[in-house]
Amino acid sequence: MDFEGKTAIVTGGARGIGRGIALELAQRGSNVIVADLDEESARSVVTEIMAGGTQSYYCETDVTQQWSTDGMAETALEKYGQLDVLVNNAGVGGAPDFNSRKVPTVEDWQATFDVNVYGIVNGTQSVENYMIERGYGKIVNIASIAGRAGRPGFASYGASKAAAINVSQAWAFKLAPHGINVNAVCPGLIWTPLWQSIAEWRKSTDDQNAGLSPRQIFQHTVAESVPLGREQTPEDVGKAVAFLASDRARSITGQALNVDGGIRMN
Amino acid sequence: MNFKGQVAVVTGGATGIGRAIALKLADKGAAVMIADINVAKAKETAEEIEEISGASSLFVTDVTNVAACEGLAQATIDSIGAADILINNAGIAGSADWQTRSYSTEEDWKQTYQVNVIGMSNITSVFRSQMTRRRSGRIVNIASIAGREGRPSLPHYSASKAAVISLTQSTALELARSNITVNAICPGLLWTPMWEQVGDRHAQAIPAYEGLTPREVFDTMIAERIPMKKEQTPEDVADAVAFFASDDAKNITGQTLNVDGGFFMR
Ligand SMILES: NC(=O)c1ccc[n+]([C@@H]2O[C@H](COP(=O)([O-])OP(=O)(O)OC[C@H]3O[C@@H](n4cnc5c(N)ncnc54)[C@H](O)[C@@H]3O)[C@@H](O)[C@H]2O)c1
Ligand SMILES: NC(=O)c1ccc[n+]([C@@H]2O[C@H](COP(=O)([O-])OP(=O)(O)OC[C@H]3O[C@@H](n4cnc5c(N)ncnc54)[C@H](O)[C@@H]3O)[C@@H](O)[C@H]2O)c1
Repeated sequence: MDFEGKTAIVTGGARGIGRGIALELAQRGSNVIVADLDEESARSVVTEIMAGGTQSYYCETDVTQQWSTDGMAETALEKYGQLDVLVNNAGVGGAPDFNSRKVPTVEDWQATFDVNVYGIVNGTQSVENYMIERGYGKIVNIASIAGRAGRPGFASYGASKAAAINVSQAWAFKLAPHGINVNAVCPGLIWTPLWQSIAEWRKSTDDQNAGLSPRQIFQHTVAESVPLGREQTPEDVGKAVAFLASDRARSITGQALNVDGGIRMN
Repeated sequence: MNFKGQVAVVTGGATGIGRAIALKLADKGAAVMIADINVAKAKETAEEIEEISGASSLFVTDVTNVAACEGLAQATIDSIGAADILINNAGIAGSADWQTRSYSTEEDWKQTYQVNVIGMSNITSVFRSQMTRRRSGRIVNIASIAGREGRPSLPHYSASKAAVISLTQSTALELARSNITVNAICPGLLWTPMWEQVGDRHAQAIPAYEGLTPREVFDTMIAERIPMKKEQTPEDVADAVAFFASDDAKNITGQTLNVDGGFFMR
């Protein structure tokens, strides 16, 4: 197993895609720190992981605060004595209730960049010195296909995800001489609480969607845009992360891999 | 990751990167068909595979010859079964003695395109019907970082590999609805007989490399251009191929992944 005896941190690991990543790494032998703000959901992921036979621990973490991600890294080392993998997955679509606004406000832009961009920077900065000293480490950042090309409507989110790809490349360069791989995964369409709020936003901003449920809006989007004709799942993303975080990907760094059924090909 | 009971075809599987791919897939349980023009080497590799996974076959196939490709498709079914996995790896870098010239001839252009692009299309055509009928399949095409950007010295080769990336995307879209994924890998710098010739050519065509031996050209490029400061190996490429060929990547299609230590980040 790729991650036997290893330790991974997954930010935003309490639900959705982060949960899928945490479970996938755990299944492959990893101990997992679930770093999130949502204690209740995080604790249920921890329980699920421990039932599978590896260790897991909830670490209350706000990725927008450097002191908080510093504490997250320290917790991993205290608990398990080493840190091999950091997955920067925590992300938001805007400030609270962003989906009730037609156009993103300055608060939405700020919140999106705080979590989706600085969150990655903070997490990375909290582990890089340790990884450099050790001469080993794997960092995987969750961007989005929204970061691959500008689109109207949700510009704040797309811009933050383009920045996430760029930030991954910057740290890939910086950390490459130290034996540390930094890559990004760009998920496509995955039914999570985040997508549910995006669907609600679409429902209120586009008359075409007025009579549809959020799930129906999602399914229409999948049918219209995914060449493989099906939605992607948190497990799919977890498996791609598990590949990039493993030694099987030892010569891969600075890349962004779309897990999107072929929606985008760059 | 497990390919037990699956059938894989590897073109150019006799030597170099193709051989490493064939051995990797066999190691994970696949029965492997080696399709190559180098009969002696193909025999050796097929024998090695036989020892690993218990099932292998070889068919002398020039990918530029449509009748031979059709023969290969039938021979695969007859010997080890219908193909689940197709790895299009056969490739050349020019016509006879290309490395002794500092420029590309019409023959270099024609033959390189004939093998790297038309050959890939020939092989894909004969296997897509097997896969479409069973509504499942994995195709992985070996492109090159040379196809990521035009560079001096090997315009015919770079253009052919850019075409491979484009062909990968077209094929992915054509086959998506048949549940067949098609992805490409761009290997970076690997010290194979092919690269020894590339080094000869670069020393003649690029002023900065004048007077260097092929290995010196290779080492200089790694130092200058590869953030990880390391050459890549056939094993590295094989691990990435195995990921795309596996169930873990079932929702990834049309993508091109660089296995290049960070040479290109796009
Ligand atoms: N769902 C999709 O289709 C999709 C597509 C592309 C990319 N993504 C990205 O994948 C990641 C996960 O998305 P999801 O759909 O699972 O979303 P989600 O809203 O279901 O889960 C996000 C998790 O991050 C946590 N989080 C939010 N802010 C945080 C902070 N400041 N500090 C720590 N944790 C915080 C939340 O508590 C939650 O557990 C995000 O980066 C998202 O942008 C999602
Ligand atoms: N070596 C590198 O650094 C490098 C870098 C990027 C991409 N690549 C690509 O990787 C692939 C494998 O390269 P390699 O370095 O292992 O080269 P190689 O020359 O060692 O192996 C190529 C194999 O393809 C076979 N072949 C050639 N023409 C054929 C034809 N018409 N029909 C069937 N088989 C044929 C050869 O007999 C040989 O076994 C090629 O597509 C190459 O362009 C190599």
